[in-house]
Amino acid sequence: MTQPSSVPCAHCGLPAPPPPAGAPEDAPSFCCVGCHSVYLALHESGLDSFYQLRDTWSSDPQPAQAPDVAAELAPLLDSEAFLNEHARQHEDGSLSARLHLEGVHCAGCVWLIERLPELMDGVLSARLDLTRGLLSLRWDPAQVRLSQVGQALARFGYRAHPLRADQREVRNQGLGRLLTRVGISWAVAMNTMIFAIAEYAGLSALSDAGLHTTMRWLSLGLSVVAMFVGGSIFFRRAWASLRTAFSQKLSTGLTHLSIDVPIALGIGVGWIHSVYNTVWGQGDVWFDSLTVLIAALLSARYLQLRGNARAADAAERLYSLLPRSARLLRRADEPTSQLRERAEAVLATSLRPGDLIEVRTGDVVAADGVVTLGRSEVLRALLTGESRPEKIAPGQVIEAGVTNLGALLHVEVRATAEETRVGKLLRWIEDHQSQRAPIVQLADRLGGIFVLAVLGAALLTALVWALVEPSRAIPNAVALLVISCPCALGMATPLAMSVGAGRAARRGVHIKNDDVIEALDHLTDLIFDKTGTLTVGQPTVAALEGDEEALHLASALESHSSHPLARALVAAAPPQAGFAPLPTREVEEHTGRGITGRVGEQRVAVGRPDWQLPEDHRWRVRASEFAARGLTPLVVMVDEEPRLLLGLGDRLRPGATELVARLGQRGVRVHLVSGDHPELVARVGEELGIDNARVRGGASPEDKVAIIEALRDVHPDATVAMIGDGVNDAAALQAAHVGVAVYGGSEASLQAADIFLMRQGLTPIEDLLDGSSIIMRTVRRNLTGSAIYNVFGVSLAALGLVSPLVAALLMPISSLAVVASSLSQRSFEPRPPRSASPDAANAASPAPAPQTPSPLARESAA
Amino acid sequence: MNILYLLIPLALVLTLSSVAAFVWAVRRGQLDDLDTPALRPLLDDEPEPPRR
Repeated sequence: MTQPSSVPCAHCGLPAPPPPAGAPEDAPSFCCVGCHSVYLALHESGLDSFYQLRDTWSSDPQPAQAPDVAAELAPLLDSEAFLNEHARQHEDGSLSARLHLEGVHCAGCVWLIERLPELMDGVLSARLDLTRGLLSLRWDPAQVRLSQVGQALARFGYRAHPLRADQREVRNQGLGRLLTRVGISWAVAMNTMIFAIAEYAGLSALSDAGLHTTMRWLSLGLSVVAMFVGGSIFFRRAWASLRTAFSQKLSTGLTHLSIDVPIALGIGVGWIHSVYNTVWGQGDVWFDSLTVLIAALLSARYLQLRGNARAADAAERLYSLLPRSARLLRRADEPTSQLRERAEAVLATSLRPGDLIEVRTGDVVAADGVVTLGRSEVLRALLTGESRPEKIAPGQVIEAGVTNLGALLHVEVRATAEETRVGKLLRWIEDHQSQRAPIVQLADRLGGIFVLAVLGAALLTALVWALVEPSRAIPNAVALLVISCPCALGMATPLAMSVGAGRAARRGVHIKNDDVIEALDHLTDLIFDKTGTLTVGQPTVAALEGDEEALHLASALESHSSHPLARALVAAAPPQAGFAPLPTREVEEHTGRGITGRVGEQRVAVGRPDWQLPEDHRWRVRASEFAARGLTPLVVMVDEEPRLLLGLGDRLRPGATELVARLGQRGVRVHLVSGDHPELVARVGEELGIDNARVRGGASPEDKVAIIEALRDVHPDATVAMIGDGVNDAAALQAAHVGVAVYGGSEASLQAADIFLMRQGLTPIEDLLDGSSIIMRTVRRNLTGSAIYNVFGVSLAALGLVSPLVAALLMPISSLAVVASSLSQRSFEPRPPRSASPDAANAASPAPAPQTPSPLARESAA
Repeated sequence: MNILYLLIPLALVLTLSSVAAFVWAVRRGQLDDLDTPALRPLLDDEPEPPRR
């Protein structure tokens, strides 16, 4: 019987050790206790079909959260203050509130969470917004408390966070109002165009005076709606821009006029003229062109604002990852044991400098401070990106966002909320979000110039023809106004980009802001953050010394541990085919040191070299050399005899070197900036063939931002992209022109970035560069096409070669051409496999995603 | 062509009602989340009875 080295975890799909020998053949395996308990909870609730549905949304397995993490929030969720601030009371006495859920990522999650009303009495409704991880909950406070719901969610592995401020609501309402305006504008524009086409088709004051007048007045009425609903935005902004311009020195002010000014002018002048003609029953009216222009420009603006709102949601979500509560200790001259009992959960915002808080194992610190009691190991990954735990002792500084992995700590608070290091970092991100110079909206800019140019051309045409042949002056000017197509120009850019972004999303590349596509097209500098981007991001056995047979003994022993290093060991030495797994007994884990037990008849110990090895052993020296290279040394002892020395560490992702080389060929300068140890980073840079001057280790989040800013100073026309995966990179992701978060990064950094790569490996990065240049090619094709069309059309109309009817037919055709061109672009198509393809190599990487067919596929196969 | 005097108001009424429907949908937040609703039809089956 052959047995795989590891099997997918029955809950989350990550690799898990095989079930112990003697267990039934089909016994489920679990990667961790968390998954096991979630699995049991699902079975008990009769919710097994979760596993069939899980893959419809995403095939990426994610580790489930440990249960009971939300227990901490319980007192907060039930507090009067919280409910007053966040919950809304309904007439029947029920309450509703919105919560952030961490860990939702697939259709299974939606199904499970929206089943809450069936599972819990008192929950009236639960709706989940999957993309934003937002749960809208309505419950009856007489039957159930919010904290009970939170705990039920935690049992399923979802961690509920209260929303911070309700700025999001304000933003969403603003967007909703704009969307309403867009919809109304288009409805009005379409109806006005119908009337206009009738007129160009031959309806005139001569053929049917009554109908003609009616149609004009109806168009006028509709255009009033368009002017108030859509046009008012342009008038207001144009007025604001004019006021600012005239409050400055005139010469500088006028060059900074916003594009809203020509738009407002064009719309205003055109409308007044049309109204005048309608009232006096003479000449031509341009209501159709005006209303379409308003609708097209509003649509472009809506698409842009929606992107911005998504980005702002992101920063909000970062805040929600910080703990909301802390355990406050009352200062008293009593022994510590008594202090601990007197710890009480308080809101993190109510902490003041000087307070003493307690941080238990697994807790995230809520404020910056100094450790006063306890020695432990902490994980600073959120701040520094360092994935290895660091030791901490009394007197040392600890920051909000740091996770305590070891023993209980007491911390004296120094800074809270926005004043903490992570708070400052996050605020910086928010500031830069609003400061960030928006890439000039091509559609808007062209739209403004376009209106002016068309109005000018129409005026000129009318004047010239009035001199040459007065009776043809007006039809020619009308033909010119109609044939010029504002929507082809107005939609050329956003349409091509949103189609491209949609195609990218299907290939696992999520583009949040369309404007970065333009920046990617002329990329000059690409900054990689090493951890998890160019490297696999999880420990593997990188160096071996001694008797390799001992590895099998070690792996048999380590298969009982869930420690990441243990998993790496198991992956390195899969049980051999044809051999029964070695029986193990007396397994004992020694926290922070290693593991001991009996494998067969031999006593095996795996652990830190300084734990087992004698002081003067030569491997102690080798171990410190390993450590200097960034590897974690482990020694395997068999019957008290040192047999094997291992170095565990991260290794380069397959294909990374080739990618760097190809980027160089493209003319992109590749940089490597990481928070990891400088020596380690230098070594990775060397391996990748990156110029030494562009490699920098030990960089703090602030350093990364400084490096990006320095780059922009040195090369003013540089376009910088930053690729990273940690929350610590969030500020840098924002500072760069283009921020790219890669697969496996924390949720927070994904939200801060402009682009988020769902697929594993490095091919998506190349896809992204190729895809964005194709999208930009489409944009340019659209713009050139519609510019040529408009120039030709306007010239022909000005020369009197086009009748208004032909103009009315050509205009929608030109719009359709732009749509067709955008839809037929060839961006983000599956690439042909390259020889020695990185994808193929990836398939052999340690965490292959189990490709379970979706339930639909399963049904059709059945 | 007199039929147009009936058809035009009719068209306007249709437009008005569709605009009203659109505004209603936006107000109700139906366009806030465009991804999750597409999944709901897949999820509406009754859960299977527990196997044990």
